[in-house]
Amino acid sequence: MLKQLNQQDLFRLLEQLAISFQLLVPQTLVDGTRGLLPWNGSQTSMSGEPLQRKPTALFFPQTDHLVHLGSDGMAATPAGSDKPLALCGLNREDLAGIAFIDRFFAAQPADDIYLKKRTAALIIGLTGYVGREQQFQPLAEGQCDFELIADQQHWLAVAYTESGKHWLADYPDGPEDVLQLLRETSRGIASQHEQAVKRASRLLQAEQVPDSFWEEISARCIRCGGCNFACPTCTCFCVQDRKTINGIERSRIWDSCQLDAFMREASGHNPMGTELLRTRRRIHHKLVDDPQRWGETGCILCGRCDRACPTGIGMFAICDEIVSRFDR
Amino acid sequence: MKATLTTCPYCGTGCNFYLLSDAAGQLTGIEPAGKHSASRGQLCLKGWNAHAFVHHSDRLTSPLIKQNGKFHPCDWDSALTTIHQRLKQIANSYGPDSLMFFSSAKVSNEENYLLMKLARAGFGTNNIDHCARLCHSSTVTGLVETLGSGAMTNSLSCFDATDLVFVIGSNTTEQHPLIGSRILLAQQRGTKLIVADSRKIRLTEHADLHLRHQNGSDVALINGMMRQILLDGMENREFIAQRTENIEALRQSLVPFSPEYVARITGLEDQQIITAARAYAQARSAMIVYAMGITQHSHGVDNVRALSNLALLTGNLGRPGTGINPLRGQNNVQGACDMGALPDVYSGYQKVADTKSRLKFSQAWEKALPENPGMMATQAIEAAAAGKIRGMLILGENPMLSEANQTLVKQALNNLDFLAVIDIFPTETAQFADLVLPAACYAERDGTFTSTERRVQRGRKGIDPPGQAWPDWQILCALLQRCGIKADYNSPADVMDEIAKLTPSYAGIDYTRLENGEGLQWPCPDSQHPGTPILHREQCTRGKGHFSPTNYRPPKELPDATYPLLLSTGRTAVHWHTGSMTRRSHLLDREEPGAFAEINPEDARSLNIRERQRINVSSRRGEIQVKAKLTDRVPPGQVFIPFHFAKGAANVLTNNALDPESGIPEFKVCAVRVTPC
Repeated sequence: MLKQLNQQDLFRLLEQLAISFQLLVPQTLVDGTRGLLPWNGSQTSMSGEPLQRKPTALFFPQTDHLVHLGSDGMAATPAGSDKPLALCGLNREDLAGIAFIDRFFAAQPADDIYLKKRTAALIIGLTGYVGREQQFQPLAEGQCDFELIADQQHWLAVAYTESGKHWLADYPDGPEDVLQLLRETSRGIASQHEQAVKRASRLLQAEQVPDSFWEEISARCIRCGGCNFACPTCTCFCVQDRKTINGIERSRIWDSCQLDAFMREASGHNPMGTELLRTRRRIHHKLVDDPQRWGETGCILCGRCDRACPTGIGMFAICDEIVSRFDR
Repeated sequence: MKATLTTCPYCGTGCNFYLLSDAAGQLTGIEPAGKHSASRGQLCLKGWNAHAFVHHSDRLTSPLIKQNGKFHPCDWDSALTTIHQRLKQIANSYGPDSLMFFSSAKVSNEENYLLMKLARAGFGTNNIDHCARLCHSSTVTGLVETLGSGAMTNSLSCFDATDLVFVIGSNTTEQHPLIGSRILLAQQRGTKLIVADSRKIRLTEHADLHLRHQNGSDVALINGMMRQILLDGMENREFIAQRTENIEALRQSLVPFSPEYVARITGLEDQQIITAARAYAQARSAMIVYAMGITQHSHGVDNVRALSNLALLTGNLGRPGTGINPLRGQNNVQGACDMGALPDVYSGYQKVADTKSRLKFSQAWEKALPENPGMMATQAIEAAAAGKIRGMLILGENPMLSEANQTLVKQALNNLDFLAVIDIFPTETAQFADLVLPAACYAERDGTFTSTERRVQRGRKGIDPPGQAWPDWQILCALLQRCGIKADYNSPADVMDEIAKLTPSYAGIDYTRLENGEGLQWPCPDSQHPGTPILHREQCTRGKGHFSPTNYRPPKELPDATYPLLLSTGRTAVHWHTGSMTRRSHLLDREEPGAFAEINPEDARSLNIRERQRINVSSRRGEIQVKAKLTDRVPPGQVFIPFHFAKGAANVLTNNALDPESGIPEFKVCAVRVTPC
């Protein structure tokens, strides 16, 4: 289904969505970055730099209350929100991130806390001329309920699910030829980072990267955990139990495999007790294990770890370094 | 779902992040501010977890009064009236100077200002101080004397514009991670890096030169470098002639510090000292970065003087990429000093002994003010132990774990007639209190904080405080009013307006300006002034830069036959000070769940100690049990113990030998004995 919306249509659509969903749209935050926040009926920031926070955090938050165990022996799960989430404004990489962790949390045994939020949610992609200074952003062509594509004058809307079709049903059909042109533009964009990540992945799988490299890289790690916390495909968590007035609350919180305690044994021995081992393992997971398991890397090319790393050893930086040194 | 931009509550770097909260008013996470000049979309591990302690069940939620040795909840009115009456009674019986007020580098500028007003105008004493006494009091004394201003001279952006960074006594990647990372990035770009530290810290792996000098030998090292610079004729003669005074006295004082003599004291090789001197002097622009490794000595002020002399000698001052850059530890330790939470100055370092300043504050506050400088925090502990301080109000500090020689602190707190503590958690210090008041934490109140680069920034309320907890500024206003002092501020913004009127360096700062930007670096003398990223540009704050010669004095207590190892104390990357916040943050506490001592494998072997074995560490002041961590991070003969832990508290061991000028204890050097448990 292809539709065409003008600016008024878009606002009408958002108004309609806000009745059924807790609608989050991109907005400019105080410091000038963009983030997904509840729509207030008027403000949106539909174009600009990528969203600062990974959207996967809305389904798998940094602190996620799981269950409250009352002193009376009763267990209660959090009530949850009245309305399901609708996330508007995700680019191709953000959508890939959600799709990646969907697969993880949906795998048996399924994670019902995650799925409860996720399955009821509506996901809206946002691509086309919506980058910084209206730069073109590649089309998603899936991985969402519907995709809003900005051409130079209108919004094209492509539905991929029944839900997506339902919400777009009232709007006029869009021009197929314009969509085709946008698709061609999108496919013509060569991602330099994508090439480097794929080549680095192949080199790692072929065991072409020696430990001395990881020693160098890990010597620059300051153990902030930012690479994990910023990564949309990182799903590791630990469990925290806390006393409340009338029982204990169990939550899961984001973990980081760059931390020493991540794999430390109760004895105190740590099979991953150095930054070298941990850094190598983290990158191997994304670029060696994930391709073997899922047929794709665990890096969805969003660049967040490169932005979050204070010392310049994010995924793109590491892959560039691997390629420049070991790709013969 | 809400995102509230605020300033990180941990170190003095001044990172900003968003507090993320849900509809129920619970914090759900942290997101670094992507375009903020200090954080740049990045945070350290503590920053990423800065929400984690806020909803901990240990939070204080009601005023507590101690009766028959047990705390019972009470109402705010009677709690505030009790504090006021008890402190007044003590002041009436023994004089106002029998009271002591501990302010905090964890509360806002406005709150520090209000507490110093309460001490001075409300109770008539200048006995107010805070934990800067334990960290950078040596800096304030040393740099005010030589340059006229006790703050970091340059800005964080200068790390992007320097040819050489000389880090001495600062484990920057662990203690100021977002500054340490700038140093690492600069080094990757080709900036030279010299690190002087007895421990093999992360920066030393990247340093062009690692000077592993003996703890406490800094003056000898720096004097040795200066002597060499003069010998080589590498001093900046033009700068010295135009912008400094007292060079001849410095020159004379350096005569004995030959490389051979300095090598004997520091344990370095002659050539290392010469190489360091030449590299520093030859750089077009060089930054000195230092922290507690310089200040926490019985000769901390001399260490600072020596560094100031070194920068002046080479003209590394007043330009981008240069300067003397003390890294302030807490998110508002700079501000707490600026606000006059110190015994000798009002806000803006206006001296209480100066009649004109005193009159100005006296008129503004409509109260006669005491003229004699008050007592330092470290002296106050000794005075309380001796029965001379009888009443104390402690706001957001935990001296039981943070001050040197815990036995003495315990004696001091036990000795008080009355102790009131305002805090967010029932700290080790609060256990000694007669009355405890529950405060809002950083995420629950508005205010401003001043970072290490003198940047005044907003802290913003994201959620409501728990139970009956109040923001500190409201508690202090209620106490001021009970003292008959006008305190009808509607918000911290009103307090800042009063600060600006009375404090020349903050005169141009108001909330409207801060709301529209990311902060203003003082001095900011008027409402149009853009702030001052670099101090001492045309001339030093005091006029001419003053060379202040220093002589080498060894630490007060060095290893001997009975206590053969040198103990150095400090922090780790994971925890914060006395652990009241980080030890209640799951991920952080899991990373380092208990006290440990770093010990060199050579020493461990000779003492028959294995990895993770429990050991006794004893000094002349006490004994603790900790786990051994065998590592060559510490040199043979030295152990390092962080002071974050109540069990295995490093400050049971430390020596409360004070620098005679700054009153800072010698946390970095004392003698200990280690035995297997």
